[in-house]
Formats: sequence, C-alpha cells, structure tokens
Amino acid sequence: MIHYEKFILENGLRVLFHHDPNTPMAVVNTLYDVGARDEDSSRTGFAHLFEHLMFGGSVNIPDFDAPLQRAGGESNAFTSNDITNYYNSLPANNLETALWLESDRMLSLAFTPQSLEVQRSVVIEEFKQRYLNQPYGDVWLEFRPLAFKEHTYQWATIGKNIQQIEEATMEDVKAFFNKFYTPSNAILCVAGNLKLEEVKTAVQKWFGDIPRGQHPERNLTPEPAQKEYRVKTISRKVPSDAFYYGFKMPGRTEDGYYTADLLSDVLGRGQSSRLYVRLKKELDLVADINAYVLGAHDTGLLMISGKVNDGVDLDRVDNEIWKVVGALRDIEITAIEHQKNVNKVRTTKVFSEQGVLNKAMGLCLHELFGDANGINLESEHYDAITPSAIRESANKMLHQENCSRMFIKAIK
Amino acid sequence: MLDRTIAPVIRPVEHIRFVAPERLLISPFAELLWVKDVDDEAVKIDLIFHAGKLRDKKIVAELTGELLLSGTPELSSTELNEAIDLLGGFVSVEVGPEDATVSIYGLTSTISSLIPIVMDAIINVDFSEKEFAQECQTAKQGFLIAQEKVGTLARRAFVDQLLGNTDYGRLTQLEDFSTVDRESLLDFHRLYYLKGLTKICVVGNVDRAIVEELVHRGKYVSAEKEYSFHYPFQTHPSQVYIEKEGAVQTAIRVGRILFNRTNEDYIAFSVLNTLFGGYFGSRLMSNIREDKGYTYGIGSGVAQLKESGYFFISTEVGKEVADAAIVEIKNEMQRLSTELIPNEELELVRSYSIGKLLKGSDGPFAMMDRYLAVERFGMDLQHYDEVIRTIRIITPEELKALARKYLVWEDMVVVKAG
Repeated sequence: MIHYEKFILENGLRVLFHHDPNTPMAVVNTLYDVGARDEDSSRTGFAHLFEHLMFGGSVNIPDFDAPLQRAGGESNAFTSNDITNYYNSLPANNLETALWLESDRMLSLAFTPQSLEVQRSVVIEEFKQRYLNQPYGDVWLEFRPLAFKEHTYQWATIGKNIQQIEEATMEDVKAFFNKFYTPSNAILCVAGNLKLEEVKTAVQKWFGDIPRGQHPERNLTPEPAQKEYRVKTISRKVPSDAFYYGFKMPGRTEDGYYTADLLSDVLGRGQSSRLYVRLKKELDLVADINAYVLGAHDTGLLMISGKVNDGVDLDRVDNEIWKVVGALRDIEITAIEHQKNVNKVRTTKVFSEQGVLNKAMGLCLHELFGDANGINLESEHYDAITPSAIRESANKMLHQENCSRMFIKAIK
Repeated sequence: MLDRTIAPVIRPVEHIRFVAPERLLISPFAELLWVKDVDDEAVKIDLIFHAGKLRDKKIVAELTGELLLSGTPELSSTELNEAIDLLGGFVSVEVGPEDATVSIYGLTSTISSLIPIVMDAIINVDFSEKEFAQECQTAKQGFLIAQEKVGTLARRAFVDQLLGNTDYGRLTQLEDFSTVDRESLLDFHRLYYLKGLTKICVVGNVDRAIVEELVHRGKYVSAEKEYSFHYPFQTHPSQVYIEKEGAVQTAIRVGRILFNRTNEDYIAFSVLNTLFGGYFGSRLMSNIREDKGYTYGIGSGVAQLKESGYFFISTEVGKEVADAAIVEIKNEMQRLSTELIPNEELELVRSYSIGKLLKGSDGPFAMMDRYLAVERFGMDLQHYDEVIRTIRIITPEELKALARKYLVWEDMVVVKAG
C-alpha cells in the first residue's frame, strides 16, 4: 500500500505527496501529459527532442543540472509514445532546489539557439546509436506503421527519420512548449521524509504563480478495429531470422487490459510459458521467444517476438506459433497455470515499487489514468481475473484479422 | 514577488548512515551476509560462487552458469522452471570474471519454498546432452548478434590490449562453440560450484530460521580454499582500429591499467574521475556531448579487479567525428594535467559526490552493495568515512598532480571500432 496526499493548485497543477520515513532522499517527479502520439506527422520525434531541450536552461536559470548537482542531486527524464516524465532526486533537506528548478522550466524555457543545435545533434546520435547502428535496431521503425494506420502510434518516440529532427525549428519548439507544458497538463509528485504542510507551502511558493495557460485538448484519431492480417517481410544484415507479431489489445485504462497482460504471460513470459516450452524446448525451432504487452495508454499491442535457430524455416515457426495461440482460444488454462502467472505478477509488483523514485513515478502515472490510488488496486484487478476470462480474451484478440506480422530475413 | 533568479539556500549532507549486515559463518571460506531491515515482502538472495570466467575458458564458465537451472536427473528444465514460477519466483545467473552470482527474487511468504528448489537444482544439475546442445546454439546466436555491434568489437579489442596477458583477457571465439564439450562443464561445475560457494547475501525481512537453513545448506557446497587473482598487470600503450562496414557510429574505448580501492590514491582518483567523466556535468560530457553534439553519451570509470583495476573511457560517436572526439578526449586529459580545476567546479563535484553516496546508501539493497564493495577488498564501512573526508578536503593542486600521474595520453590504450 502506497500512501499519498493530493492537492491541486489554482492554476490546475495536480500535486501528490508520498511520505517515506525511511529515506534520506527526496524525489520530485513531474509527468507531462504529452508524448510522441501528440506530434504532427511531419514533425515526429519532437516530444523527445523537446525533452532534451528542457535541460538547456529556463527563463531565469541558465543551466538546469549544475544547481541540482550543487545540491547533491541528479536528474533525468524519459519520453514514451504517451507521456514525458522528468525526475530529480536529491538529499531531502535540499528539496527546495529541485522545486525551484522544476518550476522555472514549467514557467518558461530559455529557448537558446545553441541548445537547439546541440541537442538536435545529440538526438541524431541517439537515433544512430539505438536504432540504426544495432542489429535489429530499426524493428519498431518498421513495425509501428504496419500495426497502426490511423493512430499516431504509427511512429516511434525517436521519430520516423533523422530528417524530421534536422528540420525542427525554434518556432516549433516554442509552440510545443506553449501548447503542452502548462500546469494543468502536468502532475507533480514529491516524495520523501517530509511533512505535508512544508511540501504544500514550498510547492505553492514555486509553482503557484505559473500562469494557467490553456489546457491542451487531445483529439487523436482512434485506431479503427483491424480487419485484415497484415504481413510484411524485410531483409537486413543480421545473423538470424526474426519474427514479430502484434495483436491489438485494450489500452491501459480500458476493460480487458489486465486480462490481456496475463494472457501474454501465459504465452511467453519466462521459461515455463507456452511458447517457450513448445517452440524452444520441445521443437528446437527458436533461440528465444517472448510475449509481452506494450502498456500503451490508447489501443495497445500484445507482442510475440523471437529469433529462429539456424536453418529453421520461418513458415514452420509461424505454423507452430498459431497452433499454440489456437489452443488458448479453444481450451481454458488450468487453475495452476493461472495461479502461476498471478503469483509472478505479485512478485514483480513488489520489486517494481522498491525505492522512493519508483513509487513517485507510479503515483503520477495512475493519477494520469484518473486516480493515483489505482496503483494500490492493481493487485485486485489481477486477482479478479479467471481462466475463463483469459480464454475469452484470447478469443477476442488472438486471431489473424487482429494481427500484424513482420519477418526479418537475414542477409548472410 | 518571488525572485526566481536567486537559488534556494543549499544545505550540506550532515550524516550518512552505513549499516553493516549481520554476518554468519558458513565455513572457513564462506559466509552469509544478512540485511533484514526491509519494510515490505521483497526478498533477494544472492548465492556467490567462485565460478568466474578467469578459471577456465570463458565459454565453459558462461555455459555452466547459463545451464545451472537446466534440470536434474529427476526434473526437466521445464519442470524446474514450472516449480519456480508457480511460487512467483525469479532466478537469474550472472557470470563475471571473478565470480558467478545466482540471484533469487521472491517474497517473504514464498522464499522458504524457493530456496531448496533452486539450491537442489544447482547441486544436481546434470547438463543433459539436449540442454547443452540447445544452450550452445542460443549462446552462439547471441555471440553473432553481439559481434555486429561496434561497442562489442571495441570492448573486445580493449580487453585484449589491456588484459591480454592475464586470464581477465580471455575472449570467446566463434570456433569455441563447436569445440566446447559437456565434460568441461561437468568438471567446471564440480570444481567451482560444488566446492565454490563463497558468499550468500540475503536482503529481506525473513525469519532467522530461513537464514540458518541457508547456512546449513551452504556448508555442503562452500569453497575449500582461497583462490589466487594474481597476474602481471601492465599497460602496453597501443592504438587499434577495427573497421566495420556500414557502421554509422564509431565506438571508442580509451584506458589503462590502474588500481582498486586498496590503493592510497583510489579515493582521490575517484573524485578526479567524477569530474572528468563520471557524471552528467563532467568535462567529457560538457565538451563532447553538450558543446559539440558528437555523441549521445560519454563516460569514464574505474573497473576494479580483486588485485588491480583499470581506468576506461567509453563512448559511441558519429563515424565522421570519431577522430575529432579522440582529440577532444586527449585535450580534456591534458587540461586536467596543466590547469587547476576552478573552485566552483570542484565545490559542485564535492556536493554531487556526497549526494550520490547518500543515494547509493539508501535502502537495504543499496546498503548490501555498499558493504560488498568494501568487503571484497577486506575493508569495512569505515572506508566510507574516509571517502567523505577526502571528497570534502581534496584540493585542486592534488587533483592536478593525480592527473599528471595517471591521466597521461601517451600511457593509454586507444581503440576505435566502426
């Protein structure tokens, strides 16, 4: 159970406070409700590029990191297709330094041309390092547009290509900030061995006078129900053939999300899962195989992916995967197999909430979904799922008309 | 009206609490360490064996580690994994140069059932032909994929140049996958697992009976002697370039043999390293990422070995700027040897380093790591008081002298791959 208090400032900023008596550190986590899904199709990669610029100085403070480091702290951030999340951790008695820095960049950025030019290059190197210069690195650049035709999930957070990052202008940067970086579009969590009243006072002091701005309306085109099996094969200079299947599934806050998550565990989480046992241990067809969900906030994907053994035909693997999938539609899993996956989820949850930073991030995310307390209800959701619900979920999702499949053929 | 240009007052960290784990002797050559101060159900148990990669061919140590949970005469690998999964447990194996660590993750309610399953599996593993063949194939594929990465190519060449004359410098070659045999794994297992346990680390709020049970079980597999880690460590400066067709980035590794925590210059050098390449605001990051935009990231560090250590710089940069980046690395080294570090920068590094130490000592899992980091060299937690003292009082002059002594470009191994 993660306890928290919540209050809302007049400008619309939602604030959560988690009291942890056991840590000497404080965490200031800020989630902005903006991700790659909010980008224009001709300006992709922008939410992430923007995240880099948030460290390039704000309106009153030329440098973000140095003052935080001087206070014994450090900071980082990540961007996903759904959100952008910034976090600072520092000794608790210097909490105010983090609030000062975080509030000033919510107020306004420095918008220096030097920062844009440098971060543009840094992000292009990141693009190369993670997506272009790695074997199988461009999988998601190729797979997303196959699986999503209307929704903006059709591009990866890094962007469609380097060219669009090269073309970003300062005007774009300013417009993006003004539209999305408003107090009412953010959720702040302060956590540590602090008192509610001191947190309230300090947050009010630093964030209270930030103008409300206009709350951005999100108006994304929903991904229409998929009606055809989409297949694509690409060739790459990689050592082994690889396969990727994506089944459309409910978004993070939609009914059926947790059931689909457990279904993916039955299929391919760990070495006693169905796909692993059948394709790897019994048939010796693959070197590795996994199933997992992406956790997208809107329509998501349940993924099956892996790499085949030398000399094994991808069509043979394909055939066997569909047999395993078909069995889940036809026959209910046993109570024991079900309990196994519920137990694994329970352990994972305990470990994923270790440390004050993980708790703060989790609270912000659930507040975005509508209620921070959702983090404390997740176990109940999983416990309520039955084997028959999993079979139903398989019948709803695991068929070809709901699936996109990509093969990577190795060029030797 | 709030003046946002004025920074809030910064308060120094007054105290860092270091708590030693409880120690229980398993045998003359093995002990159990226990941190029980955990405020939820999480339990992690590390079984550390003297089964690292420097004891045999690298591939033998790696495959033995990977196959530890591949089944016994009674249980197939699938049955075994089924049993662990049913308890909601997770097990991972990591084979390092000196040790191999089996980590068990569970909850207070399940850990007593997980322990015998995992320990019996490790003891009774039979390395069946089928499991061995499958793992060889999987490992070979992983090897071929890694060989496609410029980072791997650079790291291998770097290790070869720096440590090639010691067992730390062993590298796996493609042909090893076809020549390695089951018998070698059985031998390795007998020598370094059945008689190789050196430590059990428990982090969890478990009953004392569980810890005592671990001590009891540990006796049967504990190490029976001390092992040597003594080698002739010496840097032979060199420059290596490995070309990789089609690469859009170049991986760079620069470094030299140095020392570990037991050396009198270690703590002071760590401060110098932080300033040079050990944090986001370091000289290397400021110049090569934040000023030039050559890379997504660059960093430096000291890798510690049982009886030595080495200094390294690691980055991946745009192929067209690789040589320019190397020139900048060299310039930054020379600047530290010729110019005094400005006070403001040093003050920042002092505060940052102490904050980092506080963060790295936060919580039971971090505290175990803290303890192990000194215990490995026969030191105790008082070492950290010395760390704090050095961070607080070291002078720009001392740091410059250290740079002149240890950060000399001509002493470095320099590797480029891409």
